[in-house]
Amino acid sequence: MSLLAADARAFVAAARKELRMWRRYPLFILGLLFWPIVLPATWVLMGQAYSGGGDARALAAFAERAGTTEFAGFVFVGYAMYMWLSNLLWGPGTALRQEQIRGSLEAVFLTPTSRLVALFAPPISHLPFSLLNFVTMGLTLWLVFGIVLPLGPVLEATVVIAIGIPSMYAIGSLFAASVLRFGETGPIVQLVRGTFVLACGITFPLVMLPGWAQAGAALLPPTYIVADIRTVLFRGVGLGGIAVDLVLLLAFAGLITLLAVWVFRILETSARRRGTLGSY
Amino acid sequence: MGELLAELRAGLAIARKHVVTMTRYRVAMISMIFIPLYQGVIPAFLFGAAFAVGGRSLGLASSIGTDNLAGFIFLGGVVSGMIATAFWGMAMSLRNEQDAGTLEPSWLTPSTHETFVIGRAIGGSVLFLLTQIALFAIGMLFFGLRFDIGILRAIPAVLLALLSMVGVAYVLAALVLLLKEANFFIDATNYLFSIASGTAFPVTLLPGVFQPVALALPTTYAMDLLRHDAIGTRTLFDPVVEYVVLIALTAIAYPLGRWVFARADHVMRVRGTVAQY
Repeated sequence: MSLLAADARAFVAAARKELRMWRRYPLFILGLLFWPIVLPATWVLMGQAYSGGGDARALAAFAERAGTTEFAGFVFVGYAMYMWLSNLLWGPGTALRQEQIRGSLEAVFLTPTSRLVALFAPPISHLPFSLLNFVTMGLTLWLVFGIVLPLGPVLEATVVIAIGIPSMYAIGSLFAASVLRFGETGPIVQLVRGTFVLACGITFPLVMLPGWAQAGAALLPPTYIVADIRTVLFRGVGLGGIAVDLVLLLAFAGLITLLAVWVFRILETSARRRGTLGSY
Repeated sequence: MGELLAELRAGLAIARKHVVTMTRYRVAMISMIFIPLYQGVIPAFLFGAAFAVGGRSLGLASSIGTDNLAGFIFLGGVVSGMIATAFWGMAMSLRNEQDAGTLEPSWLTPSTHETFVIGRAIGGSVLFLLTQIALFAIGMLFFGLRFDIGILRAIPAVLLALLSMVGVAYVLAALVLLLKEANFFIDATNYLFSIASGTAFPVTLLPGVFQPVALALPTTYAMDLLRHDAIGTRTLFDPVVEYVVLIALTAIAYPLGRWVFARADHVMRVRGTVAQY
């Protein structure tokens, strides 16, 4: 029991360390306010161009594919997921690799805490930033585009986000464990984020993808999170209507966490045998 | 004359070094094609196609005068890529040289400091051209990309815009060298410059306060003329007027950029901050 308590303390300390390091880079905070406003706003203006400034036939065609004529809200929800993935992959997703580059991974592994603390503590640091993104984007949607989201659906969307957190967290941990294998993490982040962007319906309706890609998208948790937030916000469907998706999200979280632990164990054992833990 | 030839040789050597260094990072090279595809082209194409009625982009046709969605997006990518080359390939690469500790030895050679920007402009343009050829090939094979032969008429507009972007790159290089930590600055201004040039949507859709900014950018006119000649979009003004403004803006941007860069160079040498980062 005392061992578990010590690991819990180490977990909190590791998460605090990550947050403290982010605080040292004020330009990162500026980026947190700049990109969530500018990126989706650009796509809303693109939507205005593609719809001919709100041509009824173009909007009807979009609604048939996306389930709503509210393309500004559609884009903002998609981009909230994009920012969430970016925070997750660039931050906690590369945390172990950063420790390796700084030469502190060996020192961390020599402490008496569980190795899983190093794997699962950094992802918690992305949560405040991702929540800040959601708030910033909600305010932009309201103040710039005049779209006021009703309180009830917003609360339901918050429940979807809360249920989605464990699966996103698990994705971050799985990614962090996997990239220990690669020398250059930047292109891997781009590749993985690109796959999510294309497969999960971030900026376009999923039905635009070919059948095989839609089947692949059904295996990715962000697909459900994005689709379910849009469903409760813009289609008036309650949480009961998406209950199966929410259960699936929790199941994904469990499966991906186990996969992350398994991958981490294999790579860690391999690195210790080869003596490559400190090499990059 | 001999000095000019020496500068030209130095510029070409810098360009070759830039291309050779870039091609050593194969994943980064593939990313130069993959990132525009996944971040811009494919999502924009599928988003635009979601508004299509009976397979035709009627909304786009009413906004710009043509329903050629793929052409609109891929040509936006041309100007966007040109801007990114100026921001990252020319301006930011001097900062990378500073990080690597090779800026001082480079600037101690007899070549003028401006030649280092020109060299990167040539190297960056070669990479930009190769990337665009690959992207166009992908567009034609998978996205039904097609142009009018009139696209050739837009070549002078693109070359003028390229020259003006060298001027902009001089200004940016000066700011980057003075600012030191410039990643966010370059990333954000690159994006805003590109959007304000109308690469993603017509500048007429920009909020009113940003429209004068858009009309002050040479790339706005190059973008407009390129799309007009290649896919028959409506232009903002008469094409002759747009060419006159583009020439005037290029004539201002290039010398202004060189002057700002020379000032920054002087300030850095007086303060002794060439090697600081």
